[in-house]
Amino acid sequence: MSRGGRLFAVLLTAVWALMGPAATPAWAQAAPGGNLEYAVKANYLVRFAAFVEWPPRAFANAQAPVVICVAGHDPFGATLDRAARGQTAYGRPLTVRRPATREATAGCHILYAGTGAETLISPKTDRAGLLMITDSAVAPERGMIHFVLSEARVRFHIDQQAATRSGLVISSRLLNLALTVREG
Amino acid sequence: MQLIARFRHSRFPLLALGSLLLLLIAGVAIGLLSERALKNQMASEAGAQADLLASAVSGALAFDDREAAQDYVNAVQVNPSVLAAAVYDDSNQLVASYTREGETVPEVTTRRGRATFFRDGRLIVLRPVEEGGQRLGIAGLRMLDTPPSQTFSRYAGLVLVLGLAGLVVIVLAAAQGALRRANRELAERAEVLAETNTLLHQQMAEREKAEEALRQSQKLEAIGRLTGGIAHDFNNLLMVASSGVELLERTVDPGKRKLLIEGVQKAVERGAALTRQMLAFSRRAPLKSEVLHLPTWIEGLRFLFERALREDIEVVLDLPDDLWLVEADPGELELALLNLAVNARDAMPNGGRIILAAHNAAGSGEDTDMACLTVSDTGTGMSEAIASRVFEPFFTTKEVGRGTGLGLSQIYGFVRSSGGEISVESVEGAGTTFTLCLPRTDKPASVPERAPAPTPPDPLTRKAEGRLLLVEDDDAVAAGVGHMVRDLGYTYIRAAQAADALRLLDHGEMFDLVFSDMVMPGEMDGLALAMTVRKRYPGLPVLLTTGFSEVAATAVAERFRVLSKPYGINDLAAILGETLDEVRGRVQADPA
Repeated sequence: MSRGGRLFAVLLTAVWALMGPAATPAWAQAAPGGNLEYAVKANYLVRFAAFVEWPPRAFANAQAPVVICVAGHDPFGATLDRAARGQTAYGRPLTVRRPATREATAGCHILYAGTGAETLISPKTDRAGLLMITDSAVAPERGMIHFVLSEARVRFHIDQQAATRSGLVISSRLLNLALTVREG
Repeated sequence: MQLIARFRHSRFPLLALGSLLLLLIAGVAIGLLSERALKNQMASEAGAQADLLASAVSGALAFDDREAAQDYVNAVQVNPSVLAAAVYDDSNQLVASYTREGETVPEVTTRRGRATFFRDGRLIVLRPVEEGGQRLGIAGLRMLDTPPSQTFSRYAGLVLVLGLAGLVVIVLAAAQGALRRANRELAERAEVLAETNTLLHQQMAEREKAEEALRQSQKLEAIGRLTGGIAHDFNNLLMVASSGVELLERTVDPGKRKLLIEGVQKAVERGAALTRQMLAFSRRAPLKSEVLHLPTWIEGLRFLFERALREDIEVVLDLPDDLWLVEADPGELELALLNLAVNARDAMPNGGRIILAAHNAAGSGEDTDMACLTVSDTGTGMSEAIASRVFEPFFTTKEVGRGTGLGLSQIYGFVRSSGGEISVESVEGAGTTFTLCLPRTDKPASVPERAPAPTPPDPLTRKAEGRLLLVEDDDAVAAGVGHMVRDLGYTYIRAAQAADALRLLDHGEMFDLVFSDMVMPGEMDGLALAMTVRKRYPGLPVLLTTGFSEVAATAVAERFRVLSKPYGINDLAAILGETLDEVRGRVQADPA
């Protein structure tokens, strides 16, 4: 990332900080390639936690947090941490990790595969209790949920088959919003 | 306060007012409770709908799908009572909305995102959109509150019933009030009426007094006029009697003496008739009713009519034999018929005909059957003005001395007291008809008393015996009676008072009969004397005499023999003989 781009991101972050965490401009048109796009995606990562049901064995106990991991290059930075802070999903807190090793991905419930993530985990993994999220902006291979830009908005495809294989149940409300759903 | 005072004044029943108030309060309370329950139900239904929307729209909100959100919002408008719907994201930005015409989007008014309230006839429901505990936004619905017309129609029944109940209470109260007012007015009227009545009674009493005074003065006037007539008649009679007596002294010719004696006797008879007429008029003579068969009875009077009338007057009797029986005093009826006959005679100075006819008049309805006698003449008749007054006492068309004006009023009094009717019809110049009706009776006819009595043996030829105690206060009468008694062959001692008579008896004087006047001065009158004699000397007969029929009646009631004054020597001889014979007969029958 260039120096100027970084500065822009910092400025935007500052503006969001001023507006408060609740004032996420969710409806703002995500400019392609802009940081706004990633802000939306970060937000979505947090919200997926509320629309997906994990098998009980995916958690150590009832209070165990839902772990959101960013593998490979992290395009979100502090945006994701801010979006997840204070949020819950069915009573569980959300935490963000950035695993650097394959082993470190073991505790993840939601994993965003950034650039270079393939070194840590395959997008086609069907590890139990892991919601694999891929991004067309990173690679064309699709995970369970695959971000795309459609009509200048962040949308997604869903591979319900893969999710089912991993023991996940995706809410119909989420399925309804997907551009395509690969039924299981 | 004024209202209450007015109610109290109009006596609006407090109970009715209270119940009306209670009814109103109950009605309003029921209405309010049911309204609140209804609103609660509406709110909960609206809340459920909003929850549904919030739940459906969560995905769309979470993942910025404005179209999907709009779809959900549009789906809500299927419910016609949803006027507007809106979905806000978690930064309170409007995401999707729907409004009907003239409506506004439900605004977010609370940070919590949960609210239910009514405002301006709208129900606004806000519900948070959450998924898995994540706050995603707010869904809001603006719903139609029950419109007033619907509310009204819902409560119309209740209002109607309440209104009816109120109306009934008011009507009842008004009716009661009216009744009370009417009662009050009635009471007032009754009071006024009572006052008027009292006044009327006073006036009546005053009027009665005035009438009594008038009657008294009329009586005095009548007595004045009567005395004139009677004095004239009596003077004539006395003239005849005194001249006759004087002439008797001067002549010895038996034929002439006989004529003179007859003249004197006639004068005395006329005087007696006059007093009898007066007594009848004054109602002192009691009516002694007998059942009469008029044709038979009148036939027996024919000779009397003929004697009372002149030769140029023809008497025609037209009496059907099947005439109903009547009950009347024969003496009075005789007097009435004689009066009518004499009036008819006087109305026919040049002679004419008197028709005495009779017929039955069957009563209709409440009227009783009557037997009617008509006395018609062919005389001068009279004008209507006179005909209308003929029954008034003392009304006479005859010159002073010829009549007392009592004849027709005697008839009127007699007929009325017998329960009958009398009327007169007259045509001037053609004659007059009196119709006299008496009520029919069912009693059997009594034995005709007018049958010619066997001629008594000449009392003057039969010498009687006996000692009489004559009690009479009037010296002249005592002397006259004494002459007659002695003539009849009795001896007598006179006592001027009842006390003297008793003294004589107590001294042991022996008498065969006590002959006493009834009305006498002193402490004891004739009747008291008779009672005492009957008690002390049961075997001694008492004969009483009086000119007052009223007094005579009381004596008759005590079973004493009474001889009415004036009486002739024949009457005296007969009754003295009867009384003494009865006592002697009893003594013979009971020699003990």
